[in-house]
Amino acid sequence: MSIEYVVETAGLTKRFGERVAVDDVDLRIPRGSAFGYLGPNGAGKTTLIRMLLGLTDASAGRMRLLGRPVPAQREEALARVGAIVEEPRFHGHLTGRENLEIVAAARGRQAHGRIDGALRRVGLAERANDRVKGYSLGMRQRLGVAQSLLADPELLILDEPTNGLDPAGIREFRHMIRGFVDEGRTVLLSSHLLDEVEKICDAVAIVDLGRVVAQGPIDAIAAGGTSGIVVGSGEPERALSVVSGHAAVCSAEHLADGLRLTLRSDVERDKAGADINRRLVEAGIPVHRFEPVTTSLEQRFLEITSRLEAA
Amino acid sequence: MTTAVASVTAAEARAPRLALSRAELLKLRRRRGLVALLAAMTVLPMVIGFTVTSILHASNPVKHPSAGGIENFAGSMEMLGVLVSIAAVLVGVTAGAGDLGAGVFRTLVVTGRSRLRLFAARIPGGLALVLPFVALGFAVAAVASTALAGSEPQPDVGFVARMAAWIALQAAVAFAIGLGAGSLFGSRGMSIGVVLGWMLAVEPLLAAISVLGSLRIGLLGAALQRLTPTSPLVEDGGPSIAMSAGAAATVVALWAIVPLAVGAWRTATRDA
Repeated sequence: MSIEYVVETAGLTKRFGERVAVDDVDLRIPRGSAFGYLGPNGAGKTTLIRMLLGLTDASAGRMRLLGRPVPAQREEALARVGAIVEEPRFHGHLTGRENLEIVAAARGRQAHGRIDGALRRVGLAERANDRVKGYSLGMRQRLGVAQSLLADPELLILDEPTNGLDPAGIREFRHMIRGFVDEGRTVLLSSHLLDEVEKICDAVAIVDLGRVVAQGPIDAIAAGGTSGIVVGSGEPERALSVVSGHAAVCSAEHLADGLRLTLRSDVERDKAGADINRRLVEAGIPVHRFEPVTTSLEQRFLEITSRLEAA
Repeated sequence: MTTAVASVTAAEARAPRLALSRAELLKLRRRRGLVALLAAMTVLPMVIGFTVTSILHASNPVKHPSAGGIENFAGSMEMLGVLVSIAAVLVGVTAGAGDLGAGVFRTLVVTGRSRLRLFAARIPGGLALVLPFVALGFAVAAVASTALAGSEPQPDVGFVARMAAWIALQAAVAFAIGLGAGSLFGSRGMSIGVVLGWMLAVEPLLAAISVLGSLRIGLLGAALQRLTPTSPLVEDGGPSIAMSAGAAATVVALWAIVPLAVGAWRTATRDA
């Protein structure tokens, strides 16, 4: 039986005394995607992951992992889930390989056979017999991924996996994650780094103050924000006088070589853009650039969270 | 997911218990300091003790009796019993708190493996490290006591076997207490302090307070003393706190079971 969503939660809540860390979260993560769980520090990302993995109990709500109810069928569900929660931790006095042997012993017989492949996959085969206390942070992160791969996971849960990595390490990690998705695995990536999520993930849930405030494909979420047009012109004052009265334009700001127009959210950008361009040309204003501005996830995220702060 | 894949997954979910215990042993035996300490508290004192007494006997046989014999064997067992208990506590605490201290407990829980099975694997895993050293230390004492007996009476096989069981019992109970404390507190330092403080300071003090009377039968040391193997050839002052062998056995069993139960409960309920 194929399942559509590898993670499903309904009304999931975690309270620590009076404080609500995860607040009534309904989450659906489609199979075979890289899914970003995006939110500022302290938004409740790690707490949600810890509940999914049975590291802490939920105060209320329901969860399903790989189609199985958790915690009722936790053991079966987690058999095909690999995870790194916060930073990966190891026994420093053991070698990389021995640390994997420890985890493989808990995973089952077949996991032992995956140790060599996992070490090769993350590029640690040469250092596998060195003690982990001599590993760099990047090597520990890669060993953490190797550890997750011992489950031959359908779902990989990675909590802030690029924390502390240098740019080359981040890039390498990004490729690795996309590789997992290409193999048909699902990756749940928790991060506070918008750029990272935007570059890696297909879909995203934005979380703030414990609540999921938006979720869906990144393009769809970003498209839900304000749209705009950059007008490059040597006569920005004249251009401004032409476009400022246009019904679709909500605001305009000066750039070094023109204007940036913000359109009203209820207008169709392409249609409005064509009309604005026509008026500029008819007014004889030289335009050397006319470029629709795609809202980035970052802009959308800031819009959503600043709206929440204002509320 | 197909049915075939689902059944493979279910089969994979059943990890062999032996593998988990072997993994626990691996974690412990690769701690060089712990293994060196274990050797230093089991084998080394026996080797040094019998070597020194042999040299003394060889240098002056009139003043110093033979290094072996049943009296020396019983004396060495008394010392070995104390040292083995301390060593077993250290190993037990390390087995109980090691994963938590290294932050690895979370990784193991994430595999889906039952927390109780993770805890249970620590028992054979830890004992597999402690008992061979205990056996080696004991073997040194038993062989030396027999080989170096000279004109002294040698320990008979029955007495040696009962002593072996008594030493193993002390090691196992001390390991259980250490494991329970390590799993409960999650900290090696605190667990070692609490357990050894109790065993080496508080318990002997309580045992010496005679006004406590029969309340003292709950003390592990008193119960173990009651179960000490005796021989007609060894002077025996008898136990300082009177109790039946059955009561002593019950007390010893409770001192093993209760810490293990508390450790298992804490392992199953703590946030990972």
